[in-house]
Amino acid sequence: MASGYKIIVMVKQVPDTGSKAGLNPDGTIDRARAKRMLNPFDKFALQAALHTKKMYGGSVTAISMGPPPAVEILLEALEHGVDRGFLLSDRRLAASDTLATAYALYKTIQYVGDFDIIFCGLQTTDGDTAQVGPQLAERLNLPQVTYCEDFSVQNGEVHARRIIEGGHQTVIAKPPLLVTIANSYHPLEYKSFRGAWRVQQLQRKQEELAQYIKTVTLDDVGADPERCGLKGSPTIVAKTEKVGELGGSCSIHEGKAVDELVKEVITGCNVKEFLAAGKK
Amino acid sequence: MAEEQEKKQPEKPELKDMSAICPIGEVLVIAEHILGDLQPVTLELLGAGRILADKMGQPLLCLVMGHELGDMPQRLLDHGADRVYVADHPELKNYRTLPYRRVVCDFLESLPSQPHTCLLGSTTTGRDLAPRIAAHFDTGLTADTTELDIGPYEHTSKVDPSKIGLYPNCLYAIRPSFGESLKARILGPWKNPQMATTRPGVMVPLPRESRKGEIINIPVNLQETDHRLTVKEIVREVAKGVNLTEADVIVAGGYGLGTQDGFNMLQELAGCFENSAVGASRKVVDLGWIPYQNQVGQTGKTVRPKLYIACGISGAIQHRVGMSKSSLIIAINKDPDAPIFKFAHHGIVGDCYQIIPEMIKQFKQAQSTSGVKEVVGTH
Ligand SMILES: Cc1cc2nc3c(=O)[nH]c(=O)nc-3n(C[C@H](O)[C@H](O)[C@H](O)COP(=O)(O)OP(=O)(O)OC[C@H]3O[C@@H](n4cnc5c(N)ncnc54)[C@H](O)[C@@H]3O)c2cc1C
Ligand SMILES: Nc1ncnc2c1ncn2[C@@H]1O[C@H](COP(=O)(O)O)[C@@H](O)[C@H]1O
Repeated sequence: MASGYKIIVMVKQVPDTGSKAGLNPDGTIDRARAKRMLNPFDKFALQAALHTKKMYGGSVTAISMGPPPAVEILLEALEHGVDRGFLLSDRRLAASDTLATAYALYKTIQYVGDFDIIFCGLQTTDGDTAQVGPQLAERLNLPQVTYCEDFSVQNGEVHARRIIEGGHQTVIAKPPLLVTIANSYHPLEYKSFRGAWRVQQLQRKQEELAQYIKTVTLDDVGADPERCGLKGSPTIVAKTEKVGELGGSCSIHEGKAVDELVKEVITGCNVKEFLAAGKK
Repeated sequence: MAEEQEKKQPEKPELKDMSAICPIGEVLVIAEHILGDLQPVTLELLGAGRILADKMGQPLLCLVMGHELGDMPQRLLDHGADRVYVADHPELKNYRTLPYRRVVCDFLESLPSQPHTCLLGSTTTGRDLAPRIAAHFDTGLTADTTELDIGPYEHTSKVDPSKIGLYPNCLYAIRPSFGESLKARILGPWKNPQMATTRPGVMVPLPRESRKGEIINIPVNLQETDHRLTVKEIVREVAKGVNLTEADVIVAGGYGLGTQDGFNMLQELAGCFENSAVGASRKVVDLGWIPYQNQVGQTGKTVRPKLYIACGISGAIQHRVGMSKSSLIIAINKDPDAPIFKFAHHGIVGDCYQIIPEMIKQFKQAQSTSGVKEVVGTH
């Protein structure tokens, strides 16, 4: 395969839950203050895509769907060595559930063109469904490897290790295929100075940047608006309810000698029942 | 007709009854097994599915795919299914996406009407398979649910006027909503089957009792394209100690341990108990102190042990949703205002490194003075 692999990586921008700025003390998100970031799981997918290119040759295209600021993560991907990026951005996509998202991304992939391997993150930190990858594979009629922890290409076949309950399995498939990368895969390497510098230069010349990062609409990719957004989504969030305050009757043990505290707790409840019988 | 419509024009128009769109129907559970071991989540789903089916007065179906399944179909009946459909084929011995997807889609298409609800486990298998089925049928799928129910829903959004109406029997798929102290109730009553994956360890299985029901073999028609992926090997990792979701006692550590070495102490504490395991918060998993398999919480495992000892864990909402159903929660934290003290049953304000060694000491003493237990055994 002289020209190498045509690789696609799917990336999404999500609220930054890591920086203290956007988080309340109890870990909930303050959306007003929250920053944005590349979905942490997609970093592993990005690493997988770049690794494949480095080892086996080819080119990497990053695809994202989201509001205009999501261009930021495509720039970030470019800095890491991705060759080009496409952002599908359209108001009619608002409130898309996973099925509508997968449909819109499927049309975008078809618009972008031919591919051998599509890498997705395992899941997003905001959608948190791990559904978009397999749903894309279904639309594209592809075999899939989900929960992939590691892979190599041998004789034109992808050998992948995927997590299963209580172990793992090794599977083999020929491209084209779709792979979702678990967070036990290799972490994303630091961007090279050259990559960062190149993107910095590009940002100075918008018209040149536009050759590398393209923003497209539903009309561009030929997606049916009826199948996108709220209209195209078979699920809706009907109601959210507070997670009920639990207990509220914690007996607090404090301000005594350590052995006293421990004794108090042990006598205060039935922990002893669970002790292993006097084995040494 | 026109007259009638005019009468129905008052300020608050009565919502149209949409029960024809998602009529009540069976509940279908898709069974899961690895190397012949039926996964506990399948029995949990049968327990949950039984409740939903009874609410609608409908049968509970179970589909199991595999090869030479032995008494598995009967076990599925014994745990609550009314009808078990068996797809037996050598190529179905181990789970693979495309062959399994083919069988499920063919099976659903062969039915005179779609089941109302279709449930899978929120496992690496269920989360691999369910989205493909949902996409094939263009139906809704909610991931990783922790509660399920059937109830009415009034849809009034004007985005799509054809959908406005009262849907009397919807699947309520409930899950923690991301990064918020809220639970989201997700609905998709426009089309059956309404699908959900459900977390292992959350639903309660029915006890096994000899029950009657039907076992029906269904045809398997795989196509060449279904074999584009092959399984080379399956490795069961004999996890150190007990599986988190099956443990009676979990000793969990968080960032308050300060270093990775703190987990040695937790191992020792866990070692004092029968059927115990070590858990962790995400922060320390992210730091690489302990593998992801040990993570408890929204993006980790949901557990409901008899005893949960949280050491140096603040009790963030994402951690809490994974362990709050534990029967007894003991928390050790330096900070008297730590959120975990709001929902633990016993809270010790203090330093892990002083409290835990003392606990280990006292537990060991208790063990050596109560040799009786060994004789009595557990039931
Ligand atoms: C989208 C999302 C998903 C998430 N999913 C999960 C999840 O699945 N599971 C999960 O756990 N978290 C999850 N989190 C992270 C969660 O919000 C918290 O950040 C995390 O649980 C905090 O871990 P911690 O309690 O170990 O650390 P901290 O919050 O830093 O708490 C450490 C605690 O230790 C105490 N402490 C310090 N020193 C000592 C000492 N010597 N002795 C005793 N106590 C001490 C401190 O008072 C403090 O309360 C998620 C977050 C987000 C945004
Ligand atoms: N809006 C999006 N744009 C690009 N990729 C996405 C988008 N949403 C989901 N994905 C991909 O699908 C994976 C699973 O997402 P989710 O189903 O939301 O958990 C992510 O890790 C991404 O690789």
